[in-house]
Order: sequence, then structure tokens, then C-alpha cells
Amino acid sequence: MDKKPEVVIFPKNPSKTYGLMELIRTRSFQIEKGPDNTVTSWPHLLFREMILFMFVFIVLMIISILFNAPLEEQANPSNTPNPAKSPWYFLGLQEMLSWAHPFWGGIFAPTVVTIILILAPYFDRSQKGVGVWFAPERKIANLLFTILVVLAVGLIVIGEFFRGPNWQLFWPWNMPSPH
Amino acid sequence: MKKKNTIADLLFNNRFWKSVFRHDYPDNDLSRSEAMTSNLFLHIQSVKVHTNTIRPGYTLGLGLISFYLFIILTITGVLLMFYYIPSIERAYNDMKDLEFAVSYGIILRNLHRWGAHGMVAFVFFHMCRVFYTGGYKQPREFNWGIGIVLLILTLFLSLTGYLLPWDQLAFWAITIVANLIGTSPPESILGASLRYIVVGGREVGQNALIRFYVMHVIVLPLVAAVLIGVHFWRIRKDGGISRPAEE
Ligand code: HEM
Repeated sequence: MDKKPEVVIFPKNPSKTYGLMELIRTRSFQIEKGPDNTVTSWPHLLFREMILFMFVFIVLMIISILFNAPLEEQANPSNTPNPAKSPWYFLGLQEMLSWAHPFWGGIFAPTVVTIILILAPYFDRSQKGVGVWFAPERKIANLLFTILVVLAVGLIVIGEFFRGPNWQLFWPWNMPSPH
Repeated sequence: MKKKNTIADLLFNNRFWKSVFRHDYPDNDLSRSEAMTSNLFLHIQSVKVHTNTIRPGYTLGLGLISFYLFIILTITGVLLMFYYIPSIERAYNDMKDLEFAVSYGIILRNLHRWGAHGMVAFVFFHMCRVFYTGGYKQPREFNWGIGIVLLILTLFLSLTGYLLPWDQLAFWAITIVANLIGTSPPESILGASLRYIVVGGREVGQNALIRFYVMHVIVLPLVAAVLIGVHFWRIRKDGGISRPAEE
């Protein structure tokens, strides 16, 4: 194994008899260390994580006290609701089912999108703009992804709010009540 | 450590504390690093993190919120299992009992239901955050892929749970999804047999219920938990959360 070359953090100028140093306020030895923009995980990260947990739990608790989960009539195979809808996160798929042979919208499209997403980092390889929200260097990638997000969310919204009996389009305020 | 006779000393500076945590109360850099390295649950995180990692505006905490919802769902899910029997004769009545007979049963059910919807949403938001900050790029390509699998697992966890109340909503939603699976070509061979495997018969009934139940309470959560473990381990191996290149 090669020995790692020793990293000199503050190189000494050989024509000078003094080195660079500074007094800083800290709780441990900082000799031969450069500034590194890190903090100890305890308490800085851990406390934030704990506070976030409490926040998540309290908000979920408040929602659960205020709103009851839906429960309709007992399942009845001989009574088909019109329209029958899948859970909201699959409504985009169900919406596409009504356009062409169900295979294209229901199986082909999601499979292709999944494969593209998994492979994306292997094609989009520039390191420019990493670590920055909406970096201008990444305009095209961000635009393509946004189109995908808008499509996914848009189809769900149509399926949830604009589709009524017989999967016809209705305005949400004109939606006939089921059965 | 010197005893100072404060309340903090009484709580943290004693043999019991030390027997549990194996180090002093973490108030200096040495014991703070021990707090991380000597704890089974914390040592998946490094002793020190970059300041960008704890900047709330960067991650928005979305991955962590997804994880917390997963934990809450696991706990409330186990409690729900005490009251729920996956039989088409009993399942629906068990839901009614949770609402009207079990103390705080309705809260338990609501936590699980809204938590599940929340998890689907937050995993999706988390994916958007990772994309818009370029967090999927080298060396994090593989963790992005694990993430996609986690998103799919989350969707299937939600879907399999959706059938369990055995009400009209559940029955017809799953019937639609089953029919969708049935359209995989060639329909008469692959589609039909896939649908048969998922539903356990021709129609959604008792066989479908027990299949969805087993997937929902054992198989999918187990796979998800393992993959979440790998996901977190990879975050650390990939050098922590992504951040802007330093000057
Ligand atoms: C069960 C679902 C998931 C859980 C519990 C989870 C959890 C986490 C957590 C806690 C982090 C640390 C940073 C943060 O909080 O944002 C993280 C980072 C990350 N996640 Fe996830 N995640 C999940 C799903 C996903 C999905 C769907 C994707 C993408 C398709 C993904 C890709 C990533 C990547 C690439 C990182 C590193 C990001 C960076 O370094 O900036 N994860 N995940």
C-alpha cells in the first residue's frame, strides 16, 4: 500500500522564520488543521433531527384528531360504484388507461419513466451546479424533470377532480354525486 | 469528570448513565464524537457534518420526514394488527370496532392512514429535492437508484394496505389495479396469469385479501427497511449529503 502523501494545510514559506497560526475559540486541539466548515453531529445535527421528529408527530397527531379516515359500505362485488377510482397516487395511471389500450398508459409508460429515471445520473454527468437549488447550469435537466412532474401531478388532478360517472370529464363544481 | 452537584450532573454524571452510553455527557469534542461512534443507532452518521447538511433550506428535511413517517407507520401498523383479522367476514367489522369500540382506535387508524398518504407525498417531494439540487450525480447515482426502488415500494405498501379495510373504496380500487395488471401483453398468457397470481383467483376475494395482507405487513416493510438502511449507509459512504463545490 502506498503511503498517503502528508497534506500540508498551511505551507511554510522557506524564506520566513515564522509560520501561519491563529488563536481560535474551540474545545479541542486544532493544531495542523485547516478551516473545514464542519460541526459535530452531536448536538448540531441530532438536535435538529429530534425537533423535526417531534414536529412531524405533532402535526400528524393534529390531523388525525381532526379528520377521520374514510370508511365506506362493506365491499360488495355486485354493486359497482360509478366511477370506481384507484387511490390518488395511481389516478394518473388510471387516467392514461382511458386513452388507449390500457397496457400503454398503465404498464408501458410507468416502466419507461422508471428506467429513464434510474439511468438519468449515468447520462447527465456534468458536476456543474451540484448542491445548489435550481442551478442555472442545469436548466435543461431541471426543465425535463419539471415536465415530468407537471405531467404526473396534472394527470392525478384530472383523475381525482375532473372525472365523473363513466369516466366522463366534468368540472369539479358540476360533478354529479356518485350513484 | 468533576462533580458539580447540579441537576444535570445528577442526571448525566452517574454510573447508570455511563453504563448505558459508555461515555460522559457529550459536552466536549471527544465525548461528542463518542456519542456518535459508540451508539449502534447513531454510528450510521458521521461524527462531524458539513454545515450545508444542517441547513434546513437545503434538504428541507424531506428524506428525514419520509423516514419518520415510515417509523410511525411501523409502530401504528403493529398496534393495528392487534385488532385486525384479514378475513372477508371480519375485516370490515374490525374497522368499525376500531372506530367505535377500541379506545383511541380511530386515532390509531387515522395516524396510519394519513401517515401513509403523507409518506407517498413526502417521498415524492424528497425525490424532487434531490433532482433539483443535483444530488443524484456521481458518486450518488446508485443511491438515487435505490431511492427509485424505495418510491415504488412505498407505492406498493400503500396500495396493499388500501384493500385491507374491505369496504367499497378498497374493493373497487384493487379490482381496477388487478384488471390493469391483467392487461400486460400477451394478455391471454402473461396478463391473465399475473392477475391470477396477484389476486389469488379470478375475483378479488379472500385469497386476494390474505395475499395483500402478508405483502403489506411482512414482505414489503421488511424489504423497505433493509433498503432504507442501505440508502442511509450509502449517504455516508458517498461523503454525506451533496453540497456546492468548495473554492
Ligand atoms: C422510503 C423512502 C426514502 C427515505 C426514507 C429516504 C431517506 C433519505 C434521507 C433521510 C436522506 C438524507 C437527506 C435528506 O433528508 O434529504 C436521503 C438522501 C438521498 N435520497 Fe432518499 N429517501 C427515500 C427515497 C428516495 C427516493 C425516492 C430517491 C430518488 C429517487 C432518493 C434519493 C436520495 C439521494 C440521491 C440522496 C442523497 C442526496 C444528496 O446527497 O443530496 N431517496 N434519503
